[in-house]
Amino acid sequence: MIRMQPLRRFGELRLLVLVALLLVTGFVAVVATELASFAPVQPVVPLLFIALAVALHLFLVTIGFRGDQLLLPLMLALTAIGLIEVERLASNLLLQQLSWCVVAAGVFVVAILVPRDLSVLARYKYTWALLGIALLLSPLLPGLGREINGARIWIGVGFAQFQPSEAVKVLLVIFFASYLDEYREVLTMKRLGPLPLPPVPYLLPIILMWGMAMVVMVFEKDLGATLIFFGIFLAMLYLATGQTSYTLLGALLLFGGAYLAYRSFGHVAVRVDTWLEPFAGDTRFSSGYQLVQGLFALGNAGLLGAGLGGGLPERIPVVWSDFVFDAFTEETGFLGGAALLALYLVLVFRGMIIALRAPTTFLQLLAGGLSFIIAFQTLVIVGGNARLIPLTGVTLPFIAYGGSSLVANFLIVALLLRVSDVTARVRGPA
Amino acid sequence: MTPVAQNLRALTLSLALAFLVASLGVGYWTLVASEELSHDPFNPRLVAATRDRPRGNIVDAKGRVLASSQPSPQGSAQRFRRVYADRSLAQVVGYASFTFGVSGAEGAYGETLVGQDPGDPVGQWRARYLGEHAPPATVVLGIDPAVQQAAATALGARRGAIVALDPRTGAILASVSMPNFDSGLVSDPRTEELSWQQLNGNKERPLINRVTQGLYPPGSVFKIITGAAALESGFDPNAKVRVDDPWRADPSWGAYAVRSAAKAHGDFDMARAYQQSENIYFAKVGLQIGGAKIAEYAQRFGIGSTPKVDLPAAAGQVSNSRALDRPTLIADTSFGQGELLVSPLQMCLLAAAIGRSGVMPTPHYAVEVRDAQGHVVRSITPGPSGQVVRPDTAQKLTQLLVGAVEAPGAFAFGAKIPGVSVAGKTGTAENPAGSPHGWFIGFAPANDPTVAVAVLIENATEGGVDAAPLGAAVMRAALGK
Amino acid sequence: MEVTFAVLLWGVRIAFLVLLYLFLIRAFAALWRAMRVEEAVAAKPTGLAFLVVQKSHSGGPRSGARLPLRALTSIGRDAGNDVVVNDDAASSKHALVSFRDGEWWVEDAGSTNGTVVNGTRITAAERLHYGDEILIGRVAMRLEQ
Repeated sequence: MIRMQPLRRFGELRLLVLVALLLVTGFVAVVATELASFAPVQPVVPLLFIALAVALHLFLVTIGFRGDQLLLPLMLALTAIGLIEVERLASNLLLQQLSWCVVAAGVFVVAILVPRDLSVLARYKYTWALLGIALLLSPLLPGLGREINGARIWIGVGFAQFQPSEAVKVLLVIFFASYLDEYREVLTMKRLGPLPLPPVPYLLPIILMWGMAMVVMVFEKDLGATLIFFGIFLAMLYLATGQTSYTLLGALLLFGGAYLAYRSFGHVAVRVDTWLEPFAGDTRFSSGYQLVQGLFALGNAGLLGAGLGGGLPERIPVVWSDFVFDAFTEETGFLGGAALLALYLVLVFRGMIIALRAPTTFLQLLAGGLSFIIAFQTLVIVGGNARLIPLTGVTLPFIAYGGSSLVANFLIVALLLRVSDVTARVRGPA
Repeated sequence: MTPVAQNLRALTLSLALAFLVASLGVGYWTLVASEELSHDPFNPRLVAATRDRPRGNIVDAKGRVLASSQPSPQGSAQRFRRVYADRSLAQVVGYASFTFGVSGAEGAYGETLVGQDPGDPVGQWRARYLGEHAPPATVVLGIDPAVQQAAATALGARRGAIVALDPRTGAILASVSMPNFDSGLVSDPRTEELSWQQLNGNKERPLINRVTQGLYPPGSVFKIITGAAALESGFDPNAKVRVDDPWRADPSWGAYAVRSAAKAHGDFDMARAYQQSENIYFAKVGLQIGGAKIAEYAQRFGIGSTPKVDLPAAAGQVSNSRALDRPTLIADTSFGQGELLVSPLQMCLLAAAIGRSGVMPTPHYAVEVRDAQGHVVRSITPGPSGQVVRPDTAQKLTQLLVGAVEAPGAFAFGAKIPGVSVAGKTGTAENPAGSPHGWFIGFAPANDPTVAVAVLIENATEGGVDAAPLGAAVMRAALGK
Repeated sequence: MEVTFAVLLWGVRIAFLVLLYLFLIRAFAALWRAMRVEEAVAAKPTGLAFLVVQKSHSGGPRSGARLPLRALTSIGRDAGNDVVVNDDAASSKHALVSFRDGEWWVEDAGSTNGTVVNGTRITAAERLHYGDEILIGRVAMRLEQ
């Protein structure tokens, strides 16, 4: 990309000041509750994070970045809330999470700087697809894959663990954006009599995708990733073709597969039965324990919440990765939980507007798909936490503890920013 | 607008709708279901609130401390441990475990016991947001130690339940449910895990308060309700009904027949029918007045609806379908079998309502909340739940029930108390699992009762005949005789 | 009420919620402005007429896009053109569309593969009517009002 004169990004800076205040206030509340006094504490982590935020801002200013000014503060606000929650729920993991923030920021910078032109993403689409499938299947390799908490979705190299499905999501969106951009016309044609089905060769990716989703569900026991992959695929198919029939057909395939899995695989059946009756008899002490404790946390929230640090969310097993939303809501109330959802929605809307304004179909599909990942993942985990849908092991973007997910989400925002930058250069500042 | 842009807008709109639904879901749990969740016995939050502070005392009507918090020995996780005085009140007083939540009065009055009485909203606010807790209050139960002792002794180690209440106020004087358990073991962090597993997995279900939550077929005690329905339908209690054992109304009943406990042959009026608990008489009466009437009166006496008592209670049922629509089911129900299910508390309330001219009291375990200085913060006086039958019906039934205890040859002779007129009825409830349950319900003194009682013995050898003397012992203790 | 630790802590907790909402409101306001701009851009007609892309391929202008025409509009692969057709089959300076005396005209600007109007390759300036289709390289566009 062309270097331009530094561009002042005051809107971004103003919002970042609020993010810093939010982070410090949250930390003070949590630490003061813990120590039962306002004794001076080591402010290292909040200060380092604020420094990181300022660095990212100055980086965008220096390179003369023309893109959006809202996404970076939104992303950092959510990440800051994530740090507050890690301090609250698992303070021993705080430094680790901060290091992941630094790694994610590095990936962010690289994604902003390196691809000279976003169309390289489109050009190597099959490479991305193959890489995605390889990553997806990698946890199944003996020696490389690791099973944690009943799901075989990790690969480990030495001491470090990585969840490849997080990267696969982004690769999938890139591949689909490019594939669907190329074959959109063919896919929109109506054929096969009354059924608006595309010619058979073009159906192949749909069937391949379904097969992959089922592999993940059955062999890796990862219901969350299955749902996310298939959701991405259906959403992007709809974006490209506008055909509700594909989406319905795809959803039918997914539910059909899920039903078969429910009938044949224990881990799927347990999830569904737990969801239907978490309070029943012994369920609340076994498979439903986590969910029921999560609902108790929500029940303690009321309008204003118990106050940061004042609730009892630590009673939920693995709360820092699966139930952060319930933990945050217990202590900040319905108002806090609703505000959090609203922040995600603003982020998603911003991404979708970037998609709307994007100059080419490929970029539109790319930005739309990336925004959809954030929205869908938030909905799936919050829906699971609030017992609207069965619980699946999906992370709450930016907030839940975990490195792979944080890196992938920073990458998503970086790509959205790149699209908005291209748009601003083509159309002039809006 | 380009097609992709159109699709983007549509997708964004549906995502926004999904976010709205998600926030509604969150709103439901945080605002609507909040109250219910906070009272769930397994919610660890109320117990957690007292980790570092004592819980309030639970005392009985004479001031005897039933549950109190004592300082723990040095080095334990909790600064206080809960001590329970009377095992016979295990299910009533309940337990307070950090892991397994709370039960009984420990749960029902949990907020009061941690100094957040619902009668004090400012105190609740201060406790929640400022962490400033008022000193815990004391919950006073209506349990009379003498009556409780008599009830516990009378039931002994047999599985079953005894409940006695004051029919004038609804205050529960004694409540025993066997088998019971040691609340202290469930509340102690060192033993809670093991103790809970044993209790929760126990097939005899000691954690259940059989008084309010145990459901049994009522057997012959239900005949009081059949009698009330008959009297209020204009049925003449002096009319003679022919009884010949066994009895089939018509050939369509096939092999099924109503049996008489005494294998009786003869003409019965209502008084003799109560004395000898004659099934065939009540089956014929029930069929004559109709299933709808029987069902209506069963519901009037509270069968099928949860009693408004301050501890968890079961509703029971008139029949699986809530209606009495088959002749054999009407006949069976009329003498207390069929698909009827009732709790001992419901039967005790039945006795109380007959004794108090048809006015049914609202039952309650707690009678008062007192603050740390001993001042009464609030009295619990729920008042009667309603007039369920006419006064003259209740008086006629009282007269018949006195006969059922005191007349020569009456089945419930075991409930007699010298010098006091006792009204009562035994029941022997057939049940598919094992030998019949024995029932007795009654009240005394018959003309102006101060105590009503219900006794249930699971799988009693002699049915109701076993239960009647237990009822007498409890009533004697209540009357001071 | 005495200002105790508990009251202060409560204040900090409430301050957190207030800041959260302050941020949300600011963010929402920014979003709202962007949406209004987007609406305005979508609604505002620019140009005298439009070339609406009928058929395209990866990298080219997207199908359905309405490219505004000025009185004199240059079309070609080069970024300096008014309408950029990023297609290997298009020449860097491909064609010119002009508005003269209330009529639309198109002429080839010396392209390699030529300019095609309604299926016929043109040799001289050709009069355009609304609804006519121009093919530049592999990108088909229709003149619309």
